[in-house]
Amino acid sequence: MMSDTPEMVKKVFAIFVVGILIIGFFMVFTQMPKGNEVNVNNTVSRFYVMKDVDHATQMLDKGTYFNKDMVPLRNDVPYTPITFGKSSNLEDGAANVVTSIVVDYRGFDTLGEVTVLFLAASGVMLVLHGEKRKIPKKKIAPSEIMYVGTRIAFAVIFLFGIYVFIHGHLTPGGGFPGGAIIASGILGLFLGRQGYSPNKAGLTVFESLSGMAYVIIGIIGLVGEKSFLANFLPTGTIGDLFSAGFIALIYIAIGMKVGSELSAVTNAMIVDTEED
Amino acid sequence: MITLFSTLLVILIVAGGFVAVFSKKLLSSVISMGLVSLGVSGLFFFLQAPDVAITEAAIGAGLSTAIFIIAMKKIQKGGTSDDE
Repeated sequence: MMSDTPEMVKKVFAIFVVGILIIGFFMVFTQMPKGNEVNVNNTVSRFYVMKDVDHATQMLDKGTYFNKDMVPLRNDVPYTPITFGKSSNLEDGAANVVTSIVVDYRGFDTLGEVTVLFLAASGVMLVLHGEKRKIPKKKIAPSEIMYVGTRIAFAVIFLFGIYVFIHGHLTPGGGFPGGAIIASGILGLFLGRQGYSPNKAGLTVFESLSGMAYVIIGIIGLVGEKSFLANFLPTGTIGDLFSAGFIALIYIAIGMKVGSELSAVTNAMIVDTEED
Repeated sequence: MITLFSTLLVILIVAGGFVAVFSKKLLSSVISMGLVSLGVSGLFFFLQAPDVAITEAAIGAGLSTAIFIIAMKKIQKGGTSDDE
């Protein structure tokens, strides 16, 4: 594409992009099933929700839920049928399969992932963080609408980020996207206010405490259940908010850590460092 | 319907990638990279990976685009001597 792109090409491309977004928006009304018509057994978690082998074998004979070709892996382990919203005291208890693997069965990998993000943020801070700092003046001061609008939007975005990481074991999402959503809310505050600066010490303390909380939860598992990052809380009823043991606790820790880390990175990027 | 929409999304991704590579303006490249991330997150959603879709939309399309733009502004500020 040349530097002097014709206006026509630009407009056609813009109309194409906007058209795709509009189609996607209205597809929600035609393609999504209504809330009470959703059959949980037909979603991607079907094989997870129905871990019962005997029940599955019966259904295999009847040919109702499973394909004819599917053979149960084990016949010797007695499982009880698992139904959404009724079964309790399961091994893991998270309704979201991805979360149960990421946080519970492979929790140590996630600790490493958090460490990688921490190191990346530390690198950014090391390069960009100076002693003397001056907050850049915007050439055009943000208008009143921008000021009020970003503050209202920040409240909603913040709440949504917290929702995403608290409900990580029930719905898609979790600590990392929740923290990123919170950080984008902070970015909005930067755009809407003249000379906004978050509480730097607060961010640091928050991040360190939540990072420590993850390891402390792991050590409690080591002491109580004889394995690092073992689930030491009762798993409750599948589908409840208070279920799946420590997954919600760990995701709250990860969400706070990622949120404060990415906010600090954004702060370091925006705020100018005065050169000597 | 979903197949049609996915096809449109793939066309959007390819077009955004071409703009990102061949555009002379850096700003257009960064914005179209965000567009590519948006399309990819839509595809992830249709491929039944909503977790990855949410992460891609929040980090790829949201934060990294903003950080690229901030970094670009800083580079331009440091690069020219007679800036205001």
